[in-house]
Amino acid sequence: MAWWQALLLLAAAAAAAVWLFRMKIRPPRVGVPTLFLWRRVLDEKREMTWWERVRRAVSLAATVLIAVALALAVTRPGPRRSADASRGRRLIVLDSSWSMLARAESGGTRWDRAVRMAHRLAAASGGADVALATTADGLVEGPSADTALIETAIDRVRPSGGESAPWPVVAGVDSVHFITDGALARSLDASVTIHSVFEAAPNVAITAFDARSAAAGAKAPEAFVAIANYAPAAQKVRLTITRDSTMIAERTVDLGPGEAGYQAFPIASGKGGRLLARVSAPQNALDVDDEASAWLPGGEPIAVTIVAEEPAAALARLLKDAPWVTPTFVTPAQYRQGRADVFIFDRWAPPAPPNRPALLLAPPAVAWLGTAGADEKAPHWIQPGSHPVLEGVDPLTLEIKRARGLQAPGLTVVAQSEKGTPLVVVADTVDRRLIALSFAVADSNLAFAHAFPVLIGNALEWLAQPSFGPSRRPGRMTLPGSTLRVTDHSGNAMPLVRAGGFAVVTLATPGLHLVEAGGARGVVAVNVGDPEVSNLGRSSLAGKGQPSDAASGAGGRPWWTYAVIGAFLLASIEWWTWQRRVTV
Amino acid sequence: MALRFEDDFLKKLEYLQVVSRRAFAGHRGADRRARKRGRGLEFADHRGYSAGDDFRHIDWKAYQRLGRLLLRLFDEEQDLPIYLFIDSSRSMAEPAKFDQARRIAAALCYIGLAHLDRVTLLPFDIKLGDETDPGRGKGRIFRVFEQLEKLETRGPTDLREAFKTFGNRTRQAGLAVVISDFLDPHGFEPGLKMLASMKHDVFAVHITSERDRDPGALGEVRFVDAETGELRDVDVTPSLAAAYGGAWHAHQVEVERFCGRYNLGYIRADAEQPFEHVILKTFRQGRFLQ
Repeated sequence: MAWWQALLLLAAAAAAAVWLFRMKIRPPRVGVPTLFLWRRVLDEKREMTWWERVRRAVSLAATVLIAVALALAVTRPGPRRSADASRGRRLIVLDSSWSMLARAESGGTRWDRAVRMAHRLAAASGGADVALATTADGLVEGPSADTALIETAIDRVRPSGGESAPWPVVAGVDSVHFITDGALARSLDASVTIHSVFEAAPNVAITAFDARSAAAGAKAPEAFVAIANYAPAAQKVRLTITRDSTMIAERTVDLGPGEAGYQAFPIASGKGGRLLARVSAPQNALDVDDEASAWLPGGEPIAVTIVAEEPAAALARLLKDAPWVTPTFVTPAQYRQGRADVFIFDRWAPPAPPNRPALLLAPPAVAWLGTAGADEKAPHWIQPGSHPVLEGVDPLTLEIKRARGLQAPGLTVVAQSEKGTPLVVVADTVDRRLIALSFAVADSNLAFAHAFPVLIGNALEWLAQPSFGPSRRPGRMTLPGSTLRVTDHSGNAMPLVRAGGFAVVTLATPGLHLVEAGGARGVVAVNVGDPEVSNLGRSSLAGKGQPSDAASGAGGRPWWTYAVIGAFLLASIEWWTWQRRVTV
Repeated sequence: MALRFEDDFLKKLEYLQVVSRRAFAGHRGADRRARKRGRGLEFADHRGYSAGDDFRHIDWKAYQRLGRLLLRLFDEEQDLPIYLFIDSSRSMAEPAKFDQARRIAAALCYIGLAHLDRVTLLPFDIKLGDETDPGRGKGRIFRVFEQLEKLETRGPTDLREAFKTFGNRTRQAGLAVVISDFLDPHGFEPGLKMLASMKHDVFAVHITSERDRDPGALGEVRFVDAETGELRDVDVTPSLAAAYGGAWHAHQVEVERFCGRYNLGYIRADAEQPFEHVILKTFRQGRFLQ
């Protein structure tokens, strides 16, 4: 708002206040037994006291002041921008790492102090452009001379990690103010003014949590938890593990100051892949690292439907014996869409593309799949592929009698013969996820090779439960371009940014996130716990940074809050004195 | 308001007697010493015997001692005319004040009737209302109660005009008790002076109220005169309220001083005070009752 507009508004507010003040309101009627005593008092020439002479003017001035203060607080005018508006341009960077949510002994959180400090810096900009950025989100608002806009943005932003995000850069800024607790060491330009909100706090955290399926030799799946006590004193830390909604483990661990402990829990067979670890302790300043999630792959068996006139015997035997698969055998006539996690089409292909991920073994040519190339007898597969499906598959042990390659624009060849006939092709798009082998089990020694169960296992896992690695920190994640949707633990779809054949999603909140692609579903666990975040007793600022006067709870407010407080105080005084008729 | 007293209180009232600072000639025998010498029980004086005197009153002991025939004289006990003026103007409309005034009137009436005095109840505002002569004897008190219960406030106050009407009729001199707030715009002095000039022993019972002293209004208010309906917009400041409080207090003192100057009895009865306290303490301390 320009100054002339602000002045006009203030004048209007003052005029309205004067008009309201002077407005005659019918006085209340009070019965008295007789007026002659009042008349006697009123008619005698009583000299008015000094206060009686000025009190009306004082009340009027107070009313106008209240109106003007409120108008100022609402409009928050700033000085008119000069031609070189970029002069004095200020960038405020809020450290939005999770450690900023730590509670301080002096009350409030580090984030609360940072917000107060940011308000103060924005208010002190003197009408120059101000930009607001966070370490997680980059530029959030501005540059703008509208302090109301900036202050609204300051109140809007929240800690969301972003420790690995790049440093926000805004062109043409003259000063950069970084409000941080210094939990994460950053190499900053010397011109950056650091405002510290650090105050050491004791904490207990889960610094790692993951689960893995039963490995070779292990009887059951296991969960691994790392917990740490970042308090100056030893603590008893209570640790619980929950699978879906059932608590499966509970322990109390004695941890000395600065000590970390590692715990492993066997997970009994059963349904449900969602695991939640939780710690609690008496001295614990940060809540967000007290919980960690993990996904147990294979927690639920993959439903596989094999469609064939007569499935290959070796394949049928393998699937029946695999504990992580629930096979169903149907003929092409019994085939229906959408009744399995994965379809295996053995020497047959449906007339329409399946709506679930599919493994096709020597499929006949169908329109939706692509065109079949020429047959190649005894193709040589000599180059091992790098695709996850081929991980652990030794092509040299395979002997293929005959292969017929498939070619289509959406298919990617991941293994081919020496002559170039595609042997293994995959499709990984938003609406289709499939693997096609251009040879039948019967046309090769695949059933007798060590690579057979590995290949089938890889294929089914890639098709049904694509893995996105162990649990990760909040922040941006790059996913395959075939990713259809990512939803958080509450079922809310996360915005996807597609670029260069990839999909980028920002996983800001801790918890499990479901990634859907071509009918397959994978889970990404996001956890905050990290020694850098959770160790609240140390700071990289040691000796650096300006102490935050917001820590004392004073001085961090923007100027307009003082206007509101002033108006409230004036109104209270006016009301109190009016009740006693000291003022009018 | 129902004017009913507890039996215990009535018994206490019966032990009380209205005190008149002067003796008046009554009409009938009662238990009050009159100015006349007569057939009372209380010895008053001696005088010389003259022919025709009742020889039963000759003091033989004095004759034996002095050798002269002396006649014993007794005060004749007669009734006392009591005129109870009760202010029923609109300025008394505040329930606490008017109730207190009526209770006091009822109590004084009962005391008078119990001692066979001749009590006359005279409500007044700008003029004298219908006077009631309940007769003698405490059995008549219920008529008084009934009369007082029916009494309503109306009109402005004019003590002088009311007492002038009272004086238009020839009345036996007696005790005139004026129960009022004495908020007379024309001044209370002429009325009381006129009443005193009629040879009555005047006793002022001043009914005051805290609400009169402080109407509890601050700021811009519109005062309504209860008697005249006159309106006046006043910005009541704390200092003005204090000044009014001072004027009100000055008025109380003025009434009291006036009564003292003209040898009139004066008692202040606060409307907020318990009634029994007013009767049993205040009135006795003011030597109006004994």
